[in-house]
Amino acid sequence: MTAAAGTATAIRATGIVKNFGHLEALRGADLEMASGQILALVGDNGAGKSTLANIICGALIPDSGDLTFWGDRVDVQSIAHAYDLGVGVVYQDLSLALDLSVADNLFLGREPEEHGWRRFFGVLDRDRMRNDARAALGVLGIRVRSLDAPVRHLSGGQRQALAVARAILWAKRAIIMDEPTAALGPKQSGIVFDVVRKAADDGLAVLVISHDIPRMLTIADRIAVMRHGRVVAHVDARAVKLADVIGIMLGQEVA
Amino acid sequence: MTGEDSLEGAGLAPPAAGAEETSQAEIHESWLARARHSTAFWIGLAIVAIAVVFGVTTPLHSFVKPENLLAIGLNASVIMLLGVGMTYLIGAGHLDLSVGYSLILASVVGAKTMVALGGSALEVQSGTYANLALAVTAGVIVAIACGMGIGLLNGLLVTRLRLSSFIVTLATSGIAYGIALILTSAANVPYIPNELQDDFGGAKFLNVVPYPLLLALAIGGVFWAVLRKTRFGMRTLAIGSSRDAATRSGIDVNGHTLRLFVMMGFLVGVAAIVDISRNANTNVAGHQTDNLQAIAAVVIGGTSLFGGIASIGGTLLGTLIPVMLANGLVQMAVPPFFQYMLVGIILILAVYFDQRRREKSG
Repeated sequence: MTAAAGTATAIRATGIVKNFGHLEALRGADLEMASGQILALVGDNGAGKSTLANIICGALIPDSGDLTFWGDRVDVQSIAHAYDLGVGVVYQDLSLALDLSVADNLFLGREPEEHGWRRFFGVLDRDRMRNDARAALGVLGIRVRSLDAPVRHLSGGQRQALAVARAILWAKRAIIMDEPTAALGPKQSGIVFDVVRKAADDGLAVLVISHDIPRMLTIADRIAVMRHGRVVAHVDARAVKLADVIGIMLGQEVA
Repeated sequence: MTGEDSLEGAGLAPPAAGAEETSQAEIHESWLARARHSTAFWIGLAIVAIAVVFGVTTPLHSFVKPENLLAIGLNASVIMLLGVGMTYLIGAGHLDLSVGYSLILASVVGAKTMVALGGSALEVQSGTYANLALAVTAGVIVAIACGMGIGLLNGLLVTRLRLSSFIVTLATSGIAYGIALILTSAANVPYIPNELQDDFGGAKFLNVVPYPLLLALAIGGVFWAVLRKTRFGMRTLAIGSSRDAATRSGIDVNGHTLRLFVMMGFLVGVAAIVDISRNANTNVAGHQTDNLQAIAAVVIGGTSLFGGIASIGGTLLGTLIPVMLANGLVQMAVPPFFQYMLVGIILILAVYFDQRRREKSG
């Protein structure tokens, strides 16, 4: 939105606890996302990365702990609530409606309507949807055969790109991405991360969950390392070495 | 989607890939190429084929006479109304098996309202309603309200108790039928005003098009536009396509589903009025196959049983097939019961092709 100052704290999670029955997924996790920065969230399987991200985006309610969005303490009730607060999400399963067109998917839930009497009947402004979709995909360098084609006809990579494009299009202040490039090859991932970088430079706070730590070291500003339900380190991505991050992940002392 | 690891296959063009800026150009398929993928197109062809076969084989080619074709449309009008609502429900991933018996209940309470408000017992029984306009208006409103009430009940059970619409509507179907039989002691409601039949159910617009058919087509047109052009229609198919994606997009999935069931109920009420207007009678013993016919028409018409894909045009055409078969077979002096077998076979084929289409495109 606004070109925020580089390091203003956007979202702060403090002491987040979440249990699933006897499983302690989060045991007091702390996380800090800054406007204009990409924060990579890394950790071993089961460390609690997705759970923490789901709590920030409203998909899960924490058992205890505090969330602060842009200085205000909030109880995020739902995904829609988090969205209203300015947080967009790219889900691991992409959450696309495969039977709907590319343009329809980009605008699902936020469909522009015609004006005048047609607005009264909820008539969609499909010209605007097509034009805006073309522009949004153009920025990302995503090419599809037709904006009117059902998403079912797209390749896995195209679907992934579409899901990322949708989140970037709608996120007002922050964006959460759970393994956004898991289905993409290195080149395509690079293109997606270029776009993510651009979104961050425009002032968005970005959280990326990824297993691809080497790449995170090059594209992220900061790296948060999780272990056993806690964030055990916040480090500067440019000042840290891969071995150190892996060491922290595995619980070894940093040399 | 294997073997598409190339940059192009993944759908991501490198920025400033080269001189050609064709990447953003959309390829528009010709209408014929698109029609090939549309079930409505194929169902239309099938209907033309049936018309040609019967047109050739019926004595004096009576099948293809305009008045016979309009009679076919008239006979399909009740199922058209039910099929339109069913298209939305199946498109959203639900089913309504209660439409046939809900229609009976709505027609019974509507008819009873008309008889009760029409005037003195003597006037009503002699066929001269003292308060004709009031009685008919109230009867229409009550029938539609009854249909919507059952739809609301179905919708609440499906969304609040999270029960499968298949079971819920099977159950409410029995409940509605039971109430209708209790209210009438299983006898039809007598003394429905003749004007209903003379001026609407048996009347023709400009002496050509039967009013019930006109009404069904007009309502079909409105619901077609809503499905194709509006936010409501788009969200209906989004829910049928992926409930999770719809929920995560901030759509009130339960509220929307509830509205769909109430809408189905509204159409059941309208169909009930059309039914009693055509026959000047309730048909308590009939309508057993209405839900089958409506669902068959919807699926034959290209709406996917998996949800997410729906076609009102296909449904309207789909309703014609059983009626055409029955009509043509009668004129050829063949027992019309063959239509049930043929519709069953066509339905199986339609479901099979729907499933294959899904499997092919993952």
